[in-house]
Amino acid sequence: MTTINQNCYDSVTEAIRREAAKLLQEQTVAAVVGYVAGRRPGTASPAVAKSAEDAEKLVFSPACVNNLALFLSKAKKGIVPKGKTAIVAKGCDLRALAGLIGESQLNREDLVVIGVACAGVFSAAGERSLPLSDANIAAKCRECTIHTPEGVDVVAGTLPQLPDFDPVEAKELARLEAMTPQERWAFWKEHFSRCIRCMACRQICPFCYCEQCLCDRNRPQAVESSPRPAGNLAWHIVRAMHLAGRCAGCAECERSCPMDIPLNLLNRRMAQELKEQYQYEAGTTPQEKGPLNQYREDDDQSFIK
Amino acid sequence: MTFAISQTNLRLLVDQLIQDGIFVVGPRRSGSMVLYEPLSKGEALTLDALPRRSAKELFFPVCEDILTYERVEGKMAVRDVDRAHYPETVLVGAPPCDAASPAILDSVFSWDYLDDFYLERRKKTTIIGMGCTRGDDACFCSAVGLAPDSVAGSDLFLTPLPGDEYACQVITEKGRSLTADYPGLFHEQSPVDPLPAPKQEMKQLNLERIKNWLDTHFDDPLWEKFADICAGCGACAFVCPACHCFDINDEGSSEKGTRRKHWDACGFGKFTNHASGHNPRDVQNKRYRNRIMHKFKYYNDKFGKTLCTGCGRCVRACPVGIDIAGILAEIDAK
Amino acid sequence: MHSAEKKHDFEPKVVAFVCTWCTYAGADLAGTSRMQYPPNVRVLKFPCTGRIDPVFILRAFQKGADGVLVSGCHPGDCHYMAGNFHARRRFAAFRVLLGFVGVDLNRLQFSWVSAAEGGKWVEVVTELTERVRAMGPMREFKELEQEEQWSATLTTPELQQAYESI
Repeated sequence: MTTINQNCYDSVTEAIRREAAKLLQEQTVAAVVGYVAGRRPGTASPAVAKSAEDAEKLVFSPACVNNLALFLSKAKKGIVPKGKTAIVAKGCDLRALAGLIGESQLNREDLVVIGVACAGVFSAAGERSLPLSDANIAAKCRECTIHTPEGVDVVAGTLPQLPDFDPVEAKELARLEAMTPQERWAFWKEHFSRCIRCMACRQICPFCYCEQCLCDRNRPQAVESSPRPAGNLAWHIVRAMHLAGRCAGCAECERSCPMDIPLNLLNRRMAQELKEQYQYEAGTTPQEKGPLNQYREDDDQSFIK
Repeated sequence: MTFAISQTNLRLLVDQLIQDGIFVVGPRRSGSMVLYEPLSKGEALTLDALPRRSAKELFFPVCEDILTYERVEGKMAVRDVDRAHYPETVLVGAPPCDAASPAILDSVFSWDYLDDFYLERRKKTTIIGMGCTRGDDACFCSAVGLAPDSVAGSDLFLTPLPGDEYACQVITEKGRSLTADYPGLFHEQSPVDPLPAPKQEMKQLNLERIKNWLDTHFDDPLWEKFADICAGCGACAFVCPACHCFDINDEGSSEKGTRRKHWDACGFGKFTNHASGHNPRDVQNKRYRNRIMHKFKYYNDKFGKTLCTGCGRCVRACPVGIDIAGILAEIDAK
Repeated sequence: MHSAEKKHDFEPKVVAFVCTWCTYAGADLAGTSRMQYPPNVRVLKFPCTGRIDPVFILRAFQKGADGVLVSGCHPGDCHYMAGNFHARRRFAAFRVLLGFVGVDLNRLQFSWVSAAEGGKWVEVVTELTERVRAMGPMREFKELEQEEQWSATLTTPELQQAYESI
């Protein structure tokens, strides 16, 4: 088992505190969105620091799983005070920020991005009392391509030597792809039938900021709101479709699912297709238009008669 | 002498109950989790992990039909669901935090309106509670007045003993008749010390003091601190053994359809949204305040009970790490 | 229809989402030209393929369609300039998603049929109908529609089996 050196998290914590305190003291920003430690060991939760005193409580650890870009989206307005905001962002969160900027939800000029050198975070089921290792690291971190942040205002910490991780999620995706449609249907049916429609996947997603979700509407009703297998399947298909070409791949939907539905597989499958077809990839540079709101005249149409 | 049952016989009991046409529900492995599900054999009973969802769904399903309608020859024919068909049920292997919840929920489901859907199922269910040896740092049952060995709500209570044995305590008449129906599976043995209950991090909370604070602090800046970051999902309410809000939805067309009742959660933005568009709980921390108020004040005012069994599921499930036990401890310290 | 009328064991329901400018006019042409095609298709008219939300396709399957056809103007012919170009990308993505969830994509057909192509409309509809007829009913969605959480039904197929084996 390969354990990751924990010292890097302490150096990130220190850098975040220093930077946050400075920004707040100088009143460069109205608030810093970061993480604070939870009551239970190995847990952390998002927090909005509004004073230098609050800044002292900010931390960074493998328990800092949340994508904080969520709190800057329209759906969560009022949580972060008006004015310039600083945000602590891991690589995966940076892609979400870029996505929100691309969709004109945020202005880069209104942000101070404190990018963290992130070695990885815990998986949802991972043992939190142990140091981060091959055994408890999140699937997304195993295949992370932006451990060191780019295009940020401040980089917090330095990255330790990281082992090569087994890309379990890519393998799982390939396994599903190799199945027959019937087997895949059975796979998803089992997962979706456990769905209780708690909507954690929607509420935690930085891109699910619609004021009126299609799935909450009942006149006309596009998707059944009752948590039955039929409506659950429809909801997850609609969710994946609405995020296609927008999803930043932070896998928060999957992490927050209390029923362990591997939702990121859907997102990844869509991302893979959009990359193959339209050379689109979620990145850290804001793009004005996503792959599904632009076109080329010579787009593939081999599936159309 | 102690009245006891071995784990082998407990599984045999499940098998025999099923053979006798009884619907048996218990913790069972389901994918990567353990969930309460119907058992088809005793072997499937999984007793080493706390089920991800509570046992409340046995009485209060995630979603159920309450009536169906269909236009027949120009007239609307409405058909009620037949509540008499609910089978005799045994819930086996519920830890105290799950076993205790139906007794708490009885009050609200039989208050001004008798909810047959709940009460019929409740009447027909026997609960075999089980002493808990598997707690983790999110558990806080002893902080809210229960304990890993508390028999509240159980009809029959099993205390784990060394060597895969369970000391068997008859709590109610239902429990007595269950043991009387299957006498061969139980035996007498000399008393031994039960397996140690898990130690809980949380200190006992003073629920009276918490309620007093809640009585006078409907408006308090602390609510923002506690729950501004709440993402507005229903994970906490849906895994909770005591949350019981539901919504009713008509699904179908104007010709034919079903009226369904399904879980709802006060965390949802639409929960108190009025038809006018006005929402008295306009921001997330007010919604979360309601969750705490309902559990530790309103329910107490109305029924003299606390709407929380300290199972810790909401603490584990919250995607933004809101920790109800920590919040209660903070209020208690005021 | 009269001479070719045959009895089949299974008559599939096919839902066609078409744009009003091209395919609907094409289908109309097929009709006024007295061309014959399977009556299994139910046509729903939209202003443009760009208006056809993927949810409609999903909903059609959920509500009992055995096959779905989406058809509009040829690239470059869109009445609204680019509606079908946008639709093309969207459906390309949606198709992949449905396939990934396990829907057999042979039940879902996309086509470009212009107002002058009555013959092509007949060809597309006939081919899809016959293909879906050979595949049989779309069981997956219909079965799913009937399914409930265990607590709502208080019985499971597995349990039923256990009871029956007693």
